[in-house]
Amino acid sequence: MKPTLYSLLIILTVSALLLAGCAPEPTLIPELTEEAAEEPQVTEPEAVTARFTIRADEALQGAVTALYTAFFLDELPAFVDADADLVVTAAADQPFMPSEIPATFLPGAVMLPQNENAEVSAFIRYALSPDGQVMLIEIGALPASVTLTDQAGHTTQIDQPVRRLISSYGPATAIVYTVGAGETLVSASYLGARDPLGAAAMERIDPRFSDLIGDDFFSQEDFNVERAASLDPDLILTSARTAWLDTAAELGIPTILYEAETPELLIEAVLLTGELFGPNSAARAQAWAAYYDWVQTTIQDATADLPDEERPRVLFTGTQPARVASGDMYQTSIIEIAGGISVSAELTGYWNDVNLEQIAVWDPDLIIVPPYGGATVEAITDSPEWQILGAVQEGQVYQMPKLVVPWDTPAPDSVLAIVWLSQLLFPDQVELDCAEQAAYFYSIFYDYALSVEELDIICLSD
Amino acid sequence: MTSSASLTEPKSSARRILTGLALFALPAGLFSAALLLGRYPITPGEVGRTLLSPLFPALAAEIPDVARQLVLRVRLPRALAALLIGASFGGTGTAFQAIFKNPLVDSNILGVTSGAGFGAALALLLFRVGWEVQVFAFGFGLLAVALAFFGSRLYKSTPLLVLTLMGILIGSLFGSLTALLKYLADPLDTLPAITFWLLGSLTSVTWVDLGALAAISVFGLVFLFLVRWRMNVLSLGDAEAKALGVDPARMKLWIIVCATLMTSAAVSVSGVIGWVGLVIPHAGRLLVGPDHRRLLPASVGLGAAFLLLIDTLARTVLPGELPLGVLTGLVGVPILILLLRRGRTGW
Repeated sequence: MKPTLYSLLIILTVSALLLAGCAPEPTLIPELTEEAAEEPQVTEPEAVTARFTIRADEALQGAVTALYTAFFLDELPAFVDADADLVVTAAADQPFMPSEIPATFLPGAVMLPQNENAEVSAFIRYALSPDGQVMLIEIGALPASVTLTDQAGHTTQIDQPVRRLISSYGPATAIVYTVGAGETLVSASYLGARDPLGAAAMERIDPRFSDLIGDDFFSQEDFNVERAASLDPDLILTSARTAWLDTAAELGIPTILYEAETPELLIEAVLLTGELFGPNSAARAQAWAAYYDWVQTTIQDATADLPDEERPRVLFTGTQPARVASGDMYQTSIIEIAGGISVSAELTGYWNDVNLEQIAVWDPDLIIVPPYGGATVEAITDSPEWQILGAVQEGQVYQMPKLVVPWDTPAPDSVLAIVWLSQLLFPDQVELDCAEQAAYFYSIFYDYALSVEELDIICLSD
Repeated sequence: MTSSASLTEPKSSARRILTGLALFALPAGLFSAALLLGRYPITPGEVGRTLLSPLFPALAAEIPDVARQLVLRVRLPRALAALLIGASFGGTGTAFQAIFKNPLVDSNILGVTSGAGFGAALALLLFRVGWEVQVFAFGFGLLAVALAFFGSRLYKSTPLLVLTLMGILIGSLFGSLTALLKYLADPLDTLPAITFWLLGSLTSVTWVDLGALAAISVFGLVFLFLVRWRMNVLSLGDAEAKALGVDPARMKLWIIVCATLMTSAAVSVSGVIGWVGLVIPHAGRLLVGPDHRRLLPASVGLGAAFLLLIDTLARTVLPGELPLGVLTGLVGVPILILLLRRGRTGW
């Protein structure tokens, strides 16, 4: 209990000094701080080692001490009962849409900084890092490996922590950033980052982007074994529809396969990815799933009373104007969750080529083109042939937005596609603001603050 | 291959006229069917009045605008394109089989389709969409044939065999280059567009695409029609041709230039459509015999009819467009087998 006593002393001194500091005597401050540094030295030299105070649940103190002594090289933490700089406690039920996801260093246990103390934030970062995970594994607070069943049904054991990750599948890369594990990437394939705008945005989200992009080595089609071996990865993420799994198996590196073409499978993929990178990633994955669920529920509640005949009929076209999304595709789910009806839901498979006559039979109220493949609103609105459609005459042709990942692909960002579309379909009924939600989404799940310019254009529809 | 006896084979003139009429009526009937059929319900009366409405505007009065526009802007240009492209493939296939004295070639033998495919892929990669795609496809189709032709001049003797070989080489060279472009293309972005183009389709044909195609196809067909007798001579061999007063080298060059222009123009609109040029001339031979004076018009008519038939099926059977490559085989092979069963003519 000795350290607690010392820290109490310090706290008392510090608060006394702070009170004194309130006095309008700026010249006194240097003197006072000097005194603050001296006083503990007089009483007990080791006391300076308590860099900040911690209020921790009893059950968590051991883990905190282990992390603290490892991070501050054998110094001891100062636990207090009140007014701590850092509170370590069992995770409470989070308010919906928290302004940040609390640092979950153990399952169900969070670190809550109480002020802007730089050492506190450095300590929290360490507690969440792979190095911190190693300490927690050493004291038995975290398991040394996790065993997971991926979306192709393969069960794999993955040693913890994962430090060097290759993602050869764009949607998986987006999920990795969402669960806060972007720092573990050593090479990645990105969605929507080939065009200059996408690449520039990705550069702002992750300054390491231009070094990480590995589309030339790793993709769904190709896997450069030599390059993979030279990167010495702990784990490879890829699509279940990958042709090169046998090659990767030769390296003996665990592989997690993704197959996320429906909302349910996307949520599963995010939660699965969360399990790969420790408790904080798991917490972020759950926060994302809760957010996705909330968006769905909000729209459902607002539009539940609408009969099918009053719901807007939406056509989602592909890289060619007369190429449309089938009912099996995620784009159809986006339309349905946003409260609309996909006119091409009867089709199966992947993109289907149809003709204008069939589209005239469907007679959609609204047409969406994707933000890739050279698809443009103008390709439809400037075409004399397409003028026969009511949607085109009324200017109801919109381009799906994106920051980097196109919002219509089964990646975490797609929750914003649902928000965006629901605003287009039900501007009066659904009270969601696309720009507001986009700002929230990117700040929480990509740790990226949208710029004013980005906020202005991110939800524009053409 | 060509039996010269069959050139003079006597046939009842009534039968000849009947076959001739059928070969004209078939594409005409299918052309009308193409205008009448579609996913969007439009009555034959509405289609008829719509077609006459440019002459008699009063007729269009009570027809819904969607139906009128669909007939005039979608069905009509597409049916015309199928007609012209099918006719071109039938005609050029026949001409190439004659001058190469080989029934297993079509106008693609000199690499025109591979060249056009590469040109289109390059334009899609550079410009994504736009008129450049057609221009590049057309230009590179001509370039490929020019390379094959002048490449074969490097070798001194047996020019026909060397020309064929050069064509195959240039074709595979452009095939490799197209594969390289596909490798470089963004899988989410330009790759689907390139793949779609290479598959071949008439889905997006509009009036804009038809001008150049119509001009080149019609001139080309007229030229082939006028020289069809010389094809008989050429298919006998160079010595025989010279003896009969035809300069085989010059004649072949003209036919190659003409057929290449036609194929390039067709492919630049439709994308890659195989099979028609290779197989239709055989169907023609089974019906009218190997005399090019009758075989060429027959192949032209059959080619037009066949492409109209499969394109109409492709756009009407299912909500999604069936790829033409699926139907050419599924529909074409049974028809050809039927013709083979009753075939009695010389090859």
